[in-house]
Amino acid sequence: MSLKSAVRETLTGFKSLLTGMRITAREATKPIITVQYPHETLKMPDRFRGHVQLILDPETGKSRCTACGLCVRACPSDCLEVDGIKREGEKKKSVTEYKLDFTKCSLCGSCVEACPSDAIEYSKAYNVVSRDRDDFAKMDLVKDLDAKAKVWAETHPTPPAAPAPVAATPGSPTPATSAPAPAVATPGSSTPAKAAPAPVAGRAEAGTPGSSNPATPPAPAAANSPTPSSSIANAAASTGAAAGATPSPQPESKTT
Amino acid sequence: MSFLALEPIRVLLYLVGICAFVGGNAAYLVLAERKGAGRIQRRPGPNEAGWAGILQPLADGIKLLAKQVMVPPGTDALLFRAAPLMVMAPPLMCLATIPFGDTVVARNLNIGLLFVFSFGSINVMALMLGGWASRNKYSIISAARVVSQNVAYEIPMLLVVITLLMITGTMDLNEIIKQQAGWFWNWNVLKIWVNPLMPVTFVIFFTCMLAETNRAPFDMAEAESELVAGAFTEYGGMGFGVFFMAEYANIVVGCCLATILFFGGWQSPFGALSDGLWGPIWFLGKTYALIFTVIWIRWTFPRTQFYSLLNLSWKILIPLSLFTLLLTGAMMKLPLLFK
Amino acid sequence: MNAFPFADYLVTAIFALAVGLTLVGALVAALSTRIIRGVSGLMICCVGLAGLFYFLNSPFLALMEILIYVGAVCVTIVFGVMLSEPDEPAEPEKPGRALLWGGTAAAICLAVFLGIAHLAVNAPWATPAKLTTDGSVRAIGVSLLTTYSLPFELISVVLLVAILGALVIARSGRTKE
Ligand code: SF4
Ligand code: SF4
Repeated sequence: MSLKSAVRETLTGFKSLLTGMRITAREATKPIITVQYPHETLKMPDRFRGHVQLILDPETGKSRCTACGLCVRACPSDCLEVDGIKREGEKKKSVTEYKLDFTKCSLCGSCVEACPSDAIEYSKAYNVVSRDRDDFAKMDLVKDLDAKAKVWAETHPTPPAAPAPVAATPGSPTPATSAPAPAVATPGSSTPAKAAPAPVAGRAEAGTPGSSNPATPPAPAAANSPTPSSSIANAAASTGAAAGATPSPQPESKTT
Repeated sequence: MSFLALEPIRVLLYLVGICAFVGGNAAYLVLAERKGAGRIQRRPGPNEAGWAGILQPLADGIKLLAKQVMVPPGTDALLFRAAPLMVMAPPLMCLATIPFGDTVVARNLNIGLLFVFSFGSINVMALMLGGWASRNKYSIISAARVVSQNVAYEIPMLLVVITLLMITGTMDLNEIIKQQAGWFWNWNVLKIWVNPLMPVTFVIFFTCMLAETNRAPFDMAEAESELVAGAFTEYGGMGFGVFFMAEYANIVVGCCLATILFFGGWQSPFGALSDGLWGPIWFLGKTYALIFTVIWIRWTFPRTQFYSLLNLSWKILIPLSLFTLLLTGAMMKLPLLFK
Repeated sequence: MNAFPFADYLVTAIFALAVGLTLVGALVAALSTRIIRGVSGLMICCVGLAGLFYFLNSPFLALMEILIYVGAVCVTIVFGVMLSEPDEPAEPEKPGRALLWGGTAAAICLAVFLGIAHLAVNAPWATPAKLTTDGSVRAIGVSLLTTYSLPFELISVVLLVAILGALVIARSGRTKE
């Protein structure tokens, strides 16, 4: 190495070091781009495949599942268990038990494909965590659905079959619940289930991880108040359980 | 309060202050480092403990203190325990003679510069003993690296310091600072009429300081991707914590020294306003600017390879520092010939 | 300083500390079976020596002792140890030979020690009325280049010999390959 090339190499090397430092300095002044996980969560994209869950029909507040068993047969991993009864006055059976063994599920999606009544979908839950194996081995999807149905019922005080004008009268007690009913306060809304935007919102909310958590094991609390704050608490509780730092947030009722 | 005015008492009080200074700095520089790394990588860094993570060092400290100090079987227990103490003591000693202001110094020595370097050199020995005593292959490799790296970089560093000694003619740190009074072009780093390569001299010094304190991109001693944690592999709890703090204490000492030698210590950049309380303010301001540069460098450059590390020293820095030494000597003495 | 209570005791205590460090370090260096501990002992000894130099009013030498002996020589020794062969049990020596050599070495050491001690005790130590040098860098530089220039140059000859020896060893190792 001649002296000249050595000097040149040293100088260019030094210059490249300064370039590097300029780049990091520039990056340091830009805003933060990471998601502060327990405080913020990402919205999962539409094609995200969480575990399967029963769809709450926004019009009836019930599942559309007819317990036909096609999904059970379609499942290659044999991890679904469905049972249903035929109720009086209904044409089809309705589901009473829908158990998913998430420890075996490969998230292949065959069940969703196979369902003739469009009754199951992928949830958007990605932070499912538990200390109890049974929370995954026997995921009770009907129960999750019931929790959602309860929320649905709160925003739909009037059963769809009941005559709507009664609810619209100011001052008169609503027949179903005594909850304040802003959704049906609009005079003249004869079909509240159709007109009210809430069910649609409820459906759309199922896409966000926070409110889809009702379907996930550690989150029955979130089912009662699917607000952003509860989703934070839920996510934080999930991480806590993952780290083993806090006692499991599992309610006993979950492990049936 | 005549008792407090007694010299030994005053020095003792200063030493207590220095211990507090080093401890606080070590703790909060870790936080600053993590925050800085976060900013450079566009994430917030630790921000959960206290406001914006201000209590993080406390949490870390409690965690480390609560851990059991393990002495693994097969180690040389005595040396294993002694190494963390040996690595922490020298920076404390060094700071005793560093003038933070005109009168803010524990004990000004007329050979302060030598004092700092002689105690700074013990650091190597401590890391090496710790690595050796651990009886772990990673640690031994790390110890060997520490030694060869420090031997290699001590030479250009001392050559640079000799260059500065020729210019200043004294080893008294406070005297060196006083010679740089006035506007900032009187600082040694910009005294290009004494030696046109003065800025280069500073770069050499700074590079050597990074290497001597085992900082990235020269952190071969604890190259975590190859050597787990190098010499600290077997240390847990506060043993590790002390090594970690010592690294930052050494950085503080190195940056203080660079401030004194090249940036006019406690002198303000414009000739006025450098007495009383302003002195320490200027001094600490410059020192922290250098420390943040160190952090900035760490999160910019990847670790070098070991042979290129040694190449840099033996093939570039040593010839360069020898050249500046000769040039300074020539520029100082040649005019005398023609007088 | 004089106003400080117990100043004399303090000074004596620090002096005793320096002497103690030197002695303990030397003993550890000589007696320990593990080589790394021997080096550590040497290091402690050097620190003690630095303390003694400080008491002899030459802080420059004291710091040089630490810088060179602790920071460089000990480190180099450990480095040499690291690069050398792993510990192997030494060959058992014949007791007769060991006794012979050990005895000879002990006799020589004793003779040297007694001789120096004799000189030291009987020498007419003239206490200088005042400090001859201030121990500063300037004083040392001046005396090195005037009064003691011959020893100074001789030391550089020693260094030259050491470098040549290192070169010879390194080269012979290379040609053997
Ligand atoms: S996603 Fe696949 S494996 Fe999972 S339950 Fe459905 S069919 Fe079975
Ligand atoms: S989810 Fe669909 S496929 Fe499965 S039982 Fe219900 S209706 Fe049938």
